Amino acid sequence: MSRPEGYSLQRRLLLLMGLGFALLLLIISLLLWNYARTAANRTYDLLLAGAALSILERVAPGPTGPTVDLPYSAMEILALAPRERVVYGVSSVDGAHVTGAADLPGPPRDTDTPAFYDADYAGTPFRFVSQERQLNLPEGRERIAVRVGHTREARNEQQLSLFLSGLAGLAAVSAIGLGFVWLAIRRALSPLRQIETDLRARDPSDLSTVDAVPPHEIRSLFDSINGFIDRLRANRALTETFIADVAHQTRTSLSALHGQLSLAADATALDEMRARVGKAEAQAQRTVRLTNQLLSHAMVIHRSENAALHPVALKPLVREQLAEMLRDSRMRDVALTFDDDISGDGDDVVRADGVSIREALRNLIENAVRHGPPDNSVDISLHLEPGDRIALGVSDAGPGIPEERRPEAVERFTSLARNTAGSGLGLAIVRAVAESHGADLRLETSNAGGLRVVLSFPLARPAADRSRRRGALVPLVVAGCLALGTEADAQGQTLTIFGATDAPAMQRLIAGFAEENPGIDVEYREFQTVALHSYLLEAAPDERPDAVISPAMDLQVDLVNRGLALRLDLLEADGLPAWATWRSELLGFTFEPAAIIYNKQAFADIPLPATHRELADLIREHEDMLRRRIGSYDLRESGIGFLYATQDLVQGAEAQRLAEVLGRAGVRTYCCTSEMAAATAAGDLLLAINVIGPYALDAAERDPRLGVHFLDDYNLVMTRTTFVPEGASSPELGARFIAFLLSRKGQRLVAESQLLPILPVPGTESEPVARLRQQTGTFLPIRLGPGLLTYLDDLKRQRFLESWEAATTYYPLP
Amino acid sequence: MLLVEDNDHLAETILDRLRAESHSVDRESNGEEANELLRFAKFDIVLLDINLPGRSGFEVLRSMRARGDTTPVLILTARSQVDDRVIGLDAGADDYLVKPFDFRELTARCRVLARRRAGTASNVFAVGSLSFDRAAKRATVAGADLDLRAREVQLLEIMIDNLGRLLTKEEIADKLYTFNEAPSLNAVEQLITRLRRKLDGTPLALKTARGLGYMAYVDE
Repeated sequence: MSRPEGYSLQRRLLLLMGLGFALLLLIISLLLWNYARTAANRTYDLLLAGAALSILERVAPGPTGPTVDLPYSAMEILALAPRERVVYGVSSVDGAHVTGAADLPGPPRDTDTPAFYDADYAGTPFRFVSQERQLNLPEGRERIAVRVGHTREARNEQQLSLFLSGLAGLAAVSAIGLGFVWLAIRRALSPLRQIETDLRARDPSDLSTVDAVPPHEIRSLFDSINGFIDRLRANRALTETFIADVAHQTRTSLSALHGQLSLAADATALDEMRARVGKAEAQAQRTVRLTNQLLSHAMVIHRSENAALHPVALKPLVREQLAEMLRDSRMRDVALTFDDDISGDGDDVVRADGVSIREALRNLIENAVRHGPPDNSVDISLHLEPGDRIALGVSDAGPGIPEERRPEAVERFTSLARNTAGSGLGLAIVRAVAESHGADLRLETSNAGGLRVVLSFPLARPAADRSRRRGALVPLVVAGCLALGTEADAQGQTLTIFGATDAPAMQRLIAGFAEENPGIDVEYREFQTVALHSYLLEAAPDERPDAVISPAMDLQVDLVNRGLALRLDLLEADGLPAWATWRSELLGFTFEPAAIIYNKQAFADIPLPATHRELADLIREHEDMLRRRIGSYDLRESGIGFLYATQDLVQGAEAQRLAEVLGRAGVRTYCCTSEMAAATAAGDLLLAINVIGPYALDAAERDPRLGVHFLDDYNLVMTRTTFVPEGASSPELGARFIAFLLSRKGQRLVAESQLLPILPVPGTESEPVARLRQQTGTFLPIRLGPGLLTYLDDLKRQRFLESWEAATTYYPLP
Repeated sequence: MLLVEDNDHLAETILDRLRAESHSVDRESNGEEANELLRFAKFDIVLLDINLPGRSGFEVLRSMRARGDTTPVLILTARSQVDDRVIGLDAGADDYLVKPFDFRELTARCRVLARRRAGTASNVFAVGSLSFDRAAKRATVAGADLDLRAREVQLLEIMIDNLGRLLTKEEIADKLYTFNEAPSLNAVEQLITRLRRKLDGTPLALKTARGLGYMAYVDE
């Protein structure tokens, strides 16, 4: 007999408690998650609020309505969350756009300002603040709203880290809790173990009750065990009685037989002897039948414990048994009939042991024949019953059993009819078979007034079996392999680079890259910085190149801030200083301090200025000599010039003054450093300010008339930056190119191109460059980040350029 | 007849009983020897015990059937489980009895087997007043022609061949009708009824077990 796999109480309790803890954890984590979100938001919202306030402060009435002078500090405050992209917008509450992005989502309705809210902008989740202020304009009052937004990266990260640290604590608490549960369970189950030990240690014949004082909770189990032991004891007594009964029956039967035979042997008359022998034979027949029945009973009981039940079709089984019994010559006078209502295949299938069923049926028929008249009619029927059962009935035309005696009839060794001398086992066998098959045994009155015995079996329903066997198809998961960026793939691929950097330097870098990566074609397109910026803003994603290179840091930051760049995880970028990288998307690869070129001859007797203030003083003092002979970048055309100029402004008021003196001196504007260097060498210019240092050094190296000067207070440093645009057709090639730029070889090539590498390449730098390196104390790198967006603000930029032009436009004195 | 039985006491009683009925009976107590004997000697009936020294009754039976020996075999088994009997019948036994058996039943079964064999082996089957000439397709009761129709003769032949065996209506229809004829179960029923009426008064009885089939036996 196979026992179904049991379960562990301890495991189940632990599992349940574990589930409870898990549920608790889930609820707490939900709360924790929200708390972490609020906390993270609160931290970073302060930055948003600060930036919004500082912008709001600079909202002022202008000639054509409200205007804003976007403060550098606003962007710097936002840049305190260093990796976030930022957006801002200023508009009047009734919708008139002032500056910044015009399409920022507004706060949810009915919220006080400042209102903090989450909203998607350009497909990215942002956190916004919206803050308003009333402005008194000539036309009347107007409410101005400033909206500033951050991407959620740092917030999400902080939320996650707060959440995880909270969760770790909770998990530890849960683990400790579960540990105690485990201990408690072990402790609580110890009485059970005690009972187990008691039962295990017992002698098999010891059926005394377990003697212990159980806890309340298992009292009923305990009582059940003791009750079971009691029943077992009773059962054993019954078995002993049965054996005694069997012994008694057999001995009695044999004694009777023996007695008759003894009498026959002693008989003096032949007739007497014949009568005795006749009786002895009858007795022998009864003994045979008794023995048969005992063995049959024993077999049925044995099989009920040991034989497995199989699906058995009852109808053929019954027919076969009946055909077999009909061979017996004693059945010739008995009218045996069989009828059934089984039509379909499998309608008569029950889970059964065929041998036992045959035994039961044989006993029923033999009983019917034995107890009935000689011309008995025995009807066997097989009918379906409601409730998915099938009834095997045997009816006879005998005397039947009165209803009140029927329960008695199925007991062992109870033969109700003395005259027909049953063994008293027939129905007991049938009952044992019924019990082992989960069948109902019913004794009824047959139509002929005799007994009808019905065995009602539960149907096995093989149809249901079949459908259960039909297993679900196991879905086949076909794993595919994606090979990315292997060397072989690179064959015949094209890397597209759009750059605003001088072509010779780029050619050298590209040649170096191509040398390292044979098989990759590189396509390079040259742009002006502003043109490159507008191209990328307008181009469809699939028209974007694989890498973008530009010295205009602010424009590059703007592109990255708009979410145009892909994140790069380059080992080579690890050594980059913090100011030269933003969001791991925008990477600087050169180091280019601003410098002053001067004509050595002109300044032979004039001491060079040490600070920006002295520079302004110098120009002012030598205004006549320098009139129309000072060069500077054309800020409208040159991104680099604009960057240097605006960053100068950030450094202090000196820049404003410098612009004024330059204006009075009639500054001339140029497109590039090389032209300014040439003009200075030729003597057309005496001084060129804010030129690109490395180029200037290179020019001075080649032309002795040129001098390069760095100031002592500060020298702005910019870096050429590069990123891989989103939508690039071969982003892995773009990334590979950028990695190359930052590699030792790439940086050496940068150095050879008269640009300063951002990462020092020892031993390859020219003498003036090496000297330059030593001046690091005065170098003020322009930090990549949202701060650079300040002067890209439309109003701000416009106003700056206008004021610069106003200051520097040369009106020849009459 | 041959009795193969290793228990001397039982063998003695069986032999006495059968000889008292004036059958000539040989006895073997060893399966191997019985098998050897059966190779050369012909018997009308073999009574075969299953539990035998040397070679089991089943093996003896199987080798008999493998040799093409169609001698009727009655298995005597002490094992009461049906499985044994089924194996016995599958191996080619004609009938079986479970020990301890009634001697009257044993002789009755032997008679059935003997008659069945006689019915198929010779052309004339005679029991009591009934005589059936297989070759002439003629049945007589005390010399008077029973005047059987062709189908009735066929049926009688089938029933005599399967004396003591329960035949279902379908089995009879299958034997009675050729492949091309549509067997009608109703017709079988009517045919049986007619034949039974004609055999009335003879020892050959056609027993109907409703829902099960028909069996011919000799009523003595």
